[in-house]
Amino acid sequence: MPPTALIIDDSKLARIVSGRALAELQPDWQRVEANGAVEALAIVNERPVDLALIDFNMPDKDGLELAAELRALFPTMPIAIITANIQDEVIARARAVNAAFVPKPVTTEGLRGFVSGAALRLRSRGE
Amino acid sequence: MTGDDAQRETDGRTRLTLAAAGASGIWDWDIAGDRLYVDDRFAALYGLDGDMAGRALPTATFFSAVHPDDRARLRIAVAGILGGAERFSKEFRLVRSDGTIVWVHGRGQGHADERDEPVRFTGLLVDVTERRLAEERLRIAQTAGGVGTFEYTDGYATVAVSAQFCRLLGLHPATALPVRTINALVAHGAPIVPEDVNAATEIAGEFMIVRADDEETRWVARRGEIMRDLDGPGFKIMGVLYDVTEAKRSEAKLRELNETLEARVQEEIAVRMQAEDTLRQAQKMEAVGQLTGGIAHDFNNLLTVIRSSVDLLRRPEISEQRQKRYIDAIADTADRAAKLTRQLLAFARRQALKPEVFNVLICVNGIADMLRTVIGARVELVIESNCEQCFVEADIGQFETAIVNMAVNARDAMNGEGRLLISLDDQPSVPAVRGHASAEGAFISVSVSDTGAGIPEDVLPRLFEPFFTTKEVGKGTGLGLSQVYGFAKQSGGEVEVTSELGHGTTFRLYLPRASTPPDAGEETRSPAQERGQGRVLVVEDNEQVNEFASDLLVDLGYETVSASNAAEAIGVLERLDGEFDMLFSDVVMPGISGVELARIVRERWPAIRIVLTSGYSHVLATDAGHGFTLLHKPYSVQELALVLQGRVAV
Amino acid sequence: MIPDDIALQELERDALTEIVNIGVSRAASNLRKMVADQVILSVPSMEVVTKRRAARLIAEREVSDLIAVRQDFAGTFSGRALLIFPQSNSLELVRAVTGDEMSPAEIADIEHEALAETGNIILNSCLATMANMLQRSLTMTVPHIVRGDGSSLFEVGDDAASDGLVLFLYIDFAIRQRDIRGYIAMVMDLPSLAALKLLLAEFIERIVGNAA
Repeated sequence: MPPTALIIDDSKLARIVSGRALAELQPDWQRVEANGAVEALAIVNERPVDLALIDFNMPDKDGLELAAELRALFPTMPIAIITANIQDEVIARARAVNAAFVPKPVTTEGLRGFVSGAALRLRSRGE
Repeated sequence: MTGDDAQRETDGRTRLTLAAAGASGIWDWDIAGDRLYVDDRFAALYGLDGDMAGRALPTATFFSAVHPDDRARLRIAVAGILGGAERFSKEFRLVRSDGTIVWVHGRGQGHADERDEPVRFTGLLVDVTERRLAEERLRIAQTAGGVGTFEYTDGYATVAVSAQFCRLLGLHPATALPVRTINALVAHGAPIVPEDVNAATEIAGEFMIVRADDEETRWVARRGEIMRDLDGPGFKIMGVLYDVTEAKRSEAKLRELNETLEARVQEEIAVRMQAEDTLRQAQKMEAVGQLTGGIAHDFNNLLTVIRSSVDLLRRPEISEQRQKRYIDAIADTADRAAKLTRQLLAFARRQALKPEVFNVLICVNGIADMLRTVIGARVELVIESNCEQCFVEADIGQFETAIVNMAVNARDAMNGEGRLLISLDDQPSVPAVRGHASAEGAFISVSVSDTGAGIPEDVLPRLFEPFFTTKEVGKGTGLGLSQVYGFAKQSGGEVEVTSELGHGTTFRLYLPRASTPPDAGEETRSPAQERGQGRVLVVEDNEQVNEFASDLLVDLGYETVSASNAAEAIGVLERLDGEFDMLFSDVVMPGISGVELARIVRERWPAIRIVLTSGYSHVLATDAGHGFTLLHKPYSVQELALVLQGRVAV
Repeated sequence: MIPDDIALQELERDALTEIVNIGVSRAASNLRKMVADQVILSVPSMEVVTKRRAARLIAEREVSDLIAVRQDFAGTFSGRALLIFPQSNSLELVRAVTGDEMSPAEIADIEHEALAETGNIILNSCLATMANMLQRSLTMTVPHIVRGDGSSLFEVGDDAASDGLVLFLYIDFAIRQRDIRGYIAMVMDLPSLAALKLLLAEFIERIVGNAA
């Protein structure tokens, strides 16, 4: 069964762009979308999710907080923080929760490093 | 093509461009490798050894020759590129080893990898010392000459401007201004900075602006160039702006001056025209003086005849034959006085022409006696007729006047002594005279020839001008020959004059021949007076004339009742309904006019015959009697009798 | 008119210009990626003016109604950043960033949210880059869409605060092939300006000090 990626962004446009880039790199992967932290947490309670792409700048709860919560639930899940807020501090905080950093706007090139790493990790876990 | 290939190709192109441009060098700063590469020209500008070109140099070399005062600025700018900025454009000074200073313009580009990390910093270095000098001069010139510059790239909302540009518009000096801020200052019309241009856009233009600071209205001129992108719809405008208010004002002043000039010329012309009017008026007054003199003279003559005839009549023991002769003389003279009036009126072009067909010979014979009295005893009058049935259609009175005028003229030309020949001839055409082409057709000519002194050639052309006279003031009106001319023209004819100094003058009046009327040969003016009968209502506001007319009517056998105005007349008609056969009324009266009265009478008492009479030429000249029989004043008893009897259609 | 402690020295101006340049270059680079088109930028304009004047400067720029993505930032220095363009450009911009794959109905549907995301990316990258250059961190609010004239974008009212001085930065940008234009504007109030001066001095010291 192919891995499932959860794309969390309050912007539909951003979800479309991320989904498109991901589909180009891994056409077989399933994609599930959430418009924020609440919906994301509900989804991970209902179904298996293998990796998460999380927008940083979201209204109710920011992406780094959500990443920390998901990290607590899924210690080995590949997580990427996606944002145009490329401040050194934000990048450092992403690293602190063991999340990758992918700058917005998301491009295939920008996402490639994270996805290939995730694919490797998921394969090794599956074996 | 890989990115590096493309970069190298760009560099190659750049190098070629630079080589063509002259003193310029290039650099390539490898950010990741922390190395600087420069070419030989760059090295030369920086005063580096020639063999440094192309070798990996420490990046600090970039700042090595930079003037200390510019170094901090340059470092900040380079830091921008190293931090990810894309555009680099700085001017700074380089200090050569000999101490001379070179101004250079470094224009560069930051290159980032796909992760937006800056990796290379490449650029061109151009010696702009000359340009700086030129610019400095230009800046001074701009400030002195008040020329502001601007540069606009379409799509931008701001315009790069010079300080002088801002000052011209009354704005605080800045390097960039919003397009709208600039264009909002234009009082009306096209914007200074066009946001849309097409092939037809003309960069040269003038704009009325309201300056932002002092709100003064000024004029500025725009000049420059529109540079279009070779590949795309974009354009760039580089232009200058300068104040042309003074020029505009001078222009306006000049225009005003021109306009005033025009007004002044018009005024001058008006003054002159007024002067001309005054002159004409003076000339007219002189003419009136002459005319008055002439009329007075003529009337005096006529009055003398009447006066002496009356005196003669008062003498006792006068024979019946002589009585009749004096009475006839009075009547004739009165007729001539009336004719003189008519002649005057004809000159005024107010005399209603009454063309009728008549026999010229009979007419001339009819006035022969009068002519003899006019020309005097020492002038022999000879009348010759070389035509038969000499009928023309014209106004008889005018014709007679013309003959008299020509005779008087002949008399004067002969100093009262000589021979006057009146000759009637058939003419197959009218010769060409005074620029008029000859006319073919049947004409009858009446020639009046004298044996006088003749007319000098230079006077001939003026002969027929009104008031032209060679007689002294008071001796003649100068209207005579112009009447002859006017009559000839009005009657479709012509008048020709031939003269030989010392031998005499001939006036030849041409009139179109008329077909012979059926009753030709009959005496047109029957002296027979039938006794009238019936009752006539005489309406005339002038008491004496009323009385006179009534007396005449009574003499003719009529019964009369007088009324002094139309209202009174209507009253009389109502009171004595059915007792009147005829209405004889003046036209011009206070209150209801004769014409109106005639209409009322025709409406209410259709059986009453209506005859109107008037001496006013305008009444006669217009639609005469409005369909009613109209008798011209002054009238003879005979004329009155004929009209009342309905025998003459007047 | 402008107090000395906030009046920028020439080098500070240069430094701020470069920092904004870097931020905007990054923003433009991102916009380029989003619309797959050439994006041209003007040199940043920088003025210390009243808030009211800043609003008027914006109002003067465009005849039509404006639409803006607004993000407030806070940290050592605080202020407001706006991505502004004529409302008439709005749908075209959305079409550009969605890659011409959507129907007009879908574009209209996603307009608001797509603008917010576009503004978010552009303003975030710009502000974050500046923060990085100045070595301070900033927090940024989520983007808001504002429609209206200059006054409403800057919340200028009749209050005295509107007469206070602000640092007003603006940069033209244009997407040539799309006929889209707009600008990035930043407003910082006075206390921030004083703080910014200190940060700029530090920045200059770092850049110039090590090699002078």
